[in-house]
Parts: sequence; structure tokens; C-alpha cells
Amino acid sequence: MRLEYILIGFGILLCLAGVGYLAGVYVKYLSEAGKLVSLLLTIGMFTFLGKYFEGLGW
Amino acid sequence: MAIKRINLYLGLTILCFVGLIAIFIVDGYMGVYDALHVPMGEREEKIEADQWQQWSQWERAEIGWGERAFFRYEVDNRQFSTYSANVAVSVWRSREKVRDLLSQSVSIAPFDKEEVEWVVDTTELVPTGVSLEGRPVEYTIVINRGEIERKVIFTIFGYAKVPSPPR
Repeated sequence: MRLEYILIGFGILLCLAGVGYLAGVYVKYLSEAGKLVSLLLTIGMFTFLGKYFEGLGW
Repeated sequence: MAIKRINLYLGLTILCFVGLIAIFIVDGYMGVYDALHVPMGEREEKIEADQWQQWSQWERAEIGWGERAFFRYEVDNRQFSTYSANVAVSVWRSREKVRDLLSQSVSIAPFDKEEVEWVVDTTELVPTGVSLEGRPVEYTIVINRGEIERKVIFTIFGYAKVPSPPR
């Protein structure tokens, strides 16, 4: 079970690193609407991720 | 019921993540982007997609009088189709065209880049030179690519003439 949590944590870190890299390189090319939607999706992603872990009992 | 809800949250998280990636690819990566390499004395600076507005108002390229300045304009076609346009470059001052520098058709294959270059000879623009006492002379380079217009201001400054020591 602990190994499972470590793997999940590692996967989440990789995903965040990937999004961070894309943001660092390509955010300057995004349109204003694209930036707004990206911001909303980022907020949504962290909110639902928080709810998911809350549901798991963390 | 609780497990269903947890899975729903996980699904929504993944959906947001996939949406983010899709926006970065479709809106951020795909398209036609241009950049300009301008001289800054001995250095060269790159004006990128998000800096055109800033460069048309606040920033200046710097060229010493008597020098020939080399500009490189790069068009990056990140589309699945070939991009064709005419690139026309001219120098302006006080809303009047001073000189045409370049007019060239470009045809860029999908996911490829092309560069066009031109030279600004400062002695042709200001034949009499620029004194250090006076203000540097400013000109605007206007780049027309299809319907898109880019403006970059450059400054021609003078050289200090060091007097020879008395004998």
C-alpha cells in the first residue's frame, strides 16, 4: 500500500513537472483566452486532486 | 458510493490535466510565429512572440553611426500546411518611408523555419554623421508579413572623437 502511494506521488510529480515545463516554454505563445482557460483548468486540477486525496482519508 | 465519488474526482483531475496539455499544444505550440534578431552594439538580441508590443514602444536597438547593422527575421511555421507570405521591410522616420530594405516571398514547409536577412547601412540613412552633443537619431523598421505588421525602433548614436594630446 505504501509503495502504491509512493508511485502515485511520483506520477503526480512527473505530471506537474511536465505541465511546468510546457508552461515555461510555451506560455508566451498562448492567447489571452488560452491563458485564462489554462488558469481555470489548473485551479480545477488542484481542487479535484485535493478532493481525491481528502476522499482517500489524507 | 464514496469510492465512486473518489473516482469521479480522480477522473476530473485527469480531465483538467489533459485539457491543459491540449491547450498548450493547440493554442501555445501550433501556429505561425516570428522572431527578429536585432543588433545591440556588439551583442544580438532576439525579439520573441510576446515582446513585439514592448519593442514597438519602449525598447531600442542600438547601432553606432558608420556601422552596418544586420537584422535576421525568423518565421516559424508550426502548422500542418505550407505557409506562404510576402515579407516586406522598410525604414520609416516621422511617419514617412525613408527606404525599402527588402521584399521577399517566403514559402515554408509544415513544421519548418525560414530566415530572411537585411542590412541597414547607417551612412546611407544619416550621411553627415551623428554628433555626441545632439540626440541620437531614431528610425523605425516596419516588417509586413501578409497582414501582420511589426515595428521595431532603432537608434543611431555618434562616436566620441578623442582629441589628440598636445605636444
